[in-house]
Amino acid sequence: MGGFLSYMQQNQAQIFSLTLEHIRLTAISVGIAILIGIPLGILICYIKRLSKPVLGVASVIQAIPSMAMLGFAIPFLGIGTLPAIICVILYSLLPIIKNTATGIESINPQMVEAAHGIGLTRFQVLTKVQIPLALPVIMAGVRISAVTAVGLMTIAAFIGAGGLGYLVFSGIRTVNTNQILAGAIPACILALLIDFLLGLVEKLVTPISLQKTNPRAHRSIQRTRKLQKGILGVFCILLILVFGVNIFSTKQKSAKTITVGSKDFTEQMILSNMVSDYIQNKTDITVHCKENLGGSQVCFSALKSGDIDLYVEYSGTAYADLLKHKPISDVSKVYNTTKNELKSKFDIDTLNQMNFNNTYTVAVKKDTAQKYHLKTLSDLAKVGSQLRIGTTLEFLNREDGLPGLMKKYNFQFAKTTGLDGSPRYVALENRETDVVDAFSTDGLLKKFNLVTLEDDKHFFPPYYAIPLVRGKTLEKYPELSPLLKELGAHLTNSIMQQLNYEVDEQQKKPSDVAHSFLVKEGLINRTAK
Amino acid sequence: MIEFEHVCKKFKGHTVIPDLSFKIEDGDFVAIIGASGCGKTTTLKMINRLISPTSGKILIDGENIAHKDVIALRRNMGYAIQQTGLFPHLTVRKNIEMIPRIQKKDPAEIEKNTQALMKMVGLDPQNFLDRYPKELSGGQQQRVGVARAFATDPKIILMDEPFSALDPITREGLQDKLLDLQAELKKTIVFVTHDMDEAIKLADRIIIMDHGQLVQYDTPENILKNPANEFVAQFVGHKRIWGSPDFIKAEDIMIEHPIGCSPELTLFRCLEQMRNRNVDSLMVVKDGILQGILTAKQALAEPDRSVKARSIMTQNVLHVAPQDTILDVLHLMNENHVSTIPVLDKSHTLMGLITRSSLVATMSSQFFETEAI
Repeated sequence: MGGFLSYMQQNQAQIFSLTLEHIRLTAISVGIAILIGIPLGILICYIKRLSKPVLGVASVIQAIPSMAMLGFAIPFLGIGTLPAIICVILYSLLPIIKNTATGIESINPQMVEAAHGIGLTRFQVLTKVQIPLALPVIMAGVRISAVTAVGLMTIAAFIGAGGLGYLVFSGIRTVNTNQILAGAIPACILALLIDFLLGLVEKLVTPISLQKTNPRAHRSIQRTRKLQKGILGVFCILLILVFGVNIFSTKQKSAKTITVGSKDFTEQMILSNMVSDYIQNKTDITVHCKENLGGSQVCFSALKSGDIDLYVEYSGTAYADLLKHKPISDVSKVYNTTKNELKSKFDIDTLNQMNFNNTYTVAVKKDTAQKYHLKTLSDLAKVGSQLRIGTTLEFLNREDGLPGLMKKYNFQFAKTTGLDGSPRYVALENRETDVVDAFSTDGLLKKFNLVTLEDDKHFFPPYYAIPLVRGKTLEKYPELSPLLKELGAHLTNSIMQQLNYEVDEQQKKPSDVAHSFLVKEGLINRTAK
Repeated sequence: MIEFEHVCKKFKGHTVIPDLSFKIEDGDFVAIIGASGCGKTTTLKMINRLISPTSGKILIDGENIAHKDVIALRRNMGYAIQQTGLFPHLTVRKNIEMIPRIQKKDPAEIEKNTQALMKMVGLDPQNFLDRYPKELSGGQQQRVGVARAFATDPKIILMDEPFSALDPITREGLQDKLLDLQAELKKTIVFVTHDMDEAIKLADRIIIMDHGQLVQYDTPENILKNPANEFVAQFVGHKRIWGSPDFIKAEDIMIEHPIGCSPELTLFRCLEQMRNRNVDSLMVVKDGILQGILTAKQALAEPDRSVKARSIMTQNVLHVAPQDTILDVLHLMNENHVSTIPVLDKSHTLMGLITRSSLVATMSSQFFETEAI
């Protein structure tokens, strides 16, 4: 608990700005969902045959797992806030449409007929009778949507939308409970707060005469209403300020801007921070960081679409995964093919390889290694049928991952489980698995004190870090190439492992680790941050 | 004037109203009555086009309403239904002022009008205008409903069973109020009800409907007395008229062709006549005009039986007119302790006779199923 509080204190600026971002994204999404949902709900009351298809589609959308929907949106909408907002809008629609329709349909039809009978136009019947009477029910729908949206927006950090989910995701990657809580708790409070505020709105829009109270208590209700209106007013002003702050900060963007992306694990975050810090320090370019963009495909899609200008990829990943070649272990062939094909197919420039090779490796706990006398992968193959492996989903499915490995060394594991990045170490600690895949620079190897097994048959392809830059960006800022070449030269396997360790084990912030490394190596001035 | 010309209404192939034609004159209060499902509400709703006829025409002041602007048409017609018709989320004031406000009338004018309307329906404006319908009793809500129907000062007012959900005492009160209003304002009111007593009490004319057809369209009195057919008779009920004794006239209960004699007839002959016909008095008639009454008592007291009836008959007898009601007759009989009263028209022509025994026979018909009226 003390750790959590001090984490909150140290990172309060970040948590605050992420919370604001979260509120902003949720407000936009729910706002647009209301603008779409209420008219749709009204429409299906008037055109009955639309009712089933519209509600059907909305229900189906809501049944799609949010991760799947976000992943599905990337090819069409790219990454970042836009697809996140659109996905949350889609999820929010059902309760709003449904409650609008229910609210309007449950009004006594005789009264609606009377409204027509005394000479109100259709539109007047809608605005003066139906909507006011249905408003409490509609607001209940909006309330459900908004509370759900706060939660969904957390997941949207998966595609780089930002918000509090960012803390939750990076916390999970780095097994940093405090960070997870720092994201989760404000998100919970936010959800409760929104629920409370919209509850007030719901009460306020319920006509006094329809509230379930003693009619004589109206005066006291009116007094409470004043208070409620006051509270809502204050929060409205705050919301406007949130948007205002955002517009203000947007204005500060200079014309010379690039965006650096990163995948969703520690090393990538250190690298993106380091690259940003370094570029910002050495040039007059303003650098934006979009961290935590899921796996390679998400980053690559973002690079192609221009959502980001630069990220650090690994040569083997680019070769096998992005360009769909069969994994090979020839370092220079991998690099050259990648460089040529990325340029010709996607107009993406591959800069010089950095000095570290974050290839796959396989690790076991020390006692497991002793028990089975494991030193190399060939040793592992002999006893593999007795062991369970818990790997990342990526490793589980890649040609140059588990399937290829088992083929090359000709063995099967007793059980294979796909897990997210960091939880697989926890699973290993809990003895739910025996073997784990790892990256050779992974700081968690150090943290959990694991034994890495030697790839004696040279199965794993090279995974040298290669910065990928959009062709147009490099044309505009040719200085990026020599800069990153210089930076890359400083980064070796052992240095990366150390830096990763500092973040994963010592719970330092990736940006701090990156910055102090740059300073220590004399690449930038201490004061320059 | 509202005219229905061969109006037919079908709902999904099912004919609700086959062929309906009638006229409602300006200033008439017309009740449409019938069993549920007879098409009375459908008929009403066709007047303000909440329902449009499948064929046929509805004319108001000679204009086919199908060609009029529907909103303008409705705003020029009051419409009141059961209490569900008030908007629960609006105060009494806003309910009444809904249409005038939409029409952007002068606020001061609206305010004045609303105050007047509230007083008209017997509600204190100060006390009620800013309350919500839920805070009012059923009767008060209905008064507001009526006020709203009058809010645009329309020529025509449509009412669909406005009082049916109220308790009898409240209903009576509102019916009386509505009668007063109608006497003062002389609107054309079309009033749907299933309550015959209500129709008889309120309406100038009643339309009786059965299976979408107009069975009888007449004044309450004629419907009570001369049901067009067995259906109406059944619907109205034989005993109904006792609820409205005003409609029972002297001519309805009198004995027609009472036993009479000429003024020149001798007492001897007169007594013989009485004995033969088993009566105790004779109407003395000359050329149809009543001259007097000769009772058996008078005749027997006269020793000379050759005297003429003219000389000892009672002249200037108490009499009633054919249009006098049974109440007038009873009143007269009780006050003057007479047992027979002749019914005379203006020229004193003898139309009939009412005796105590004929009254007993008439009145017993409300307890026994005998056709006496």
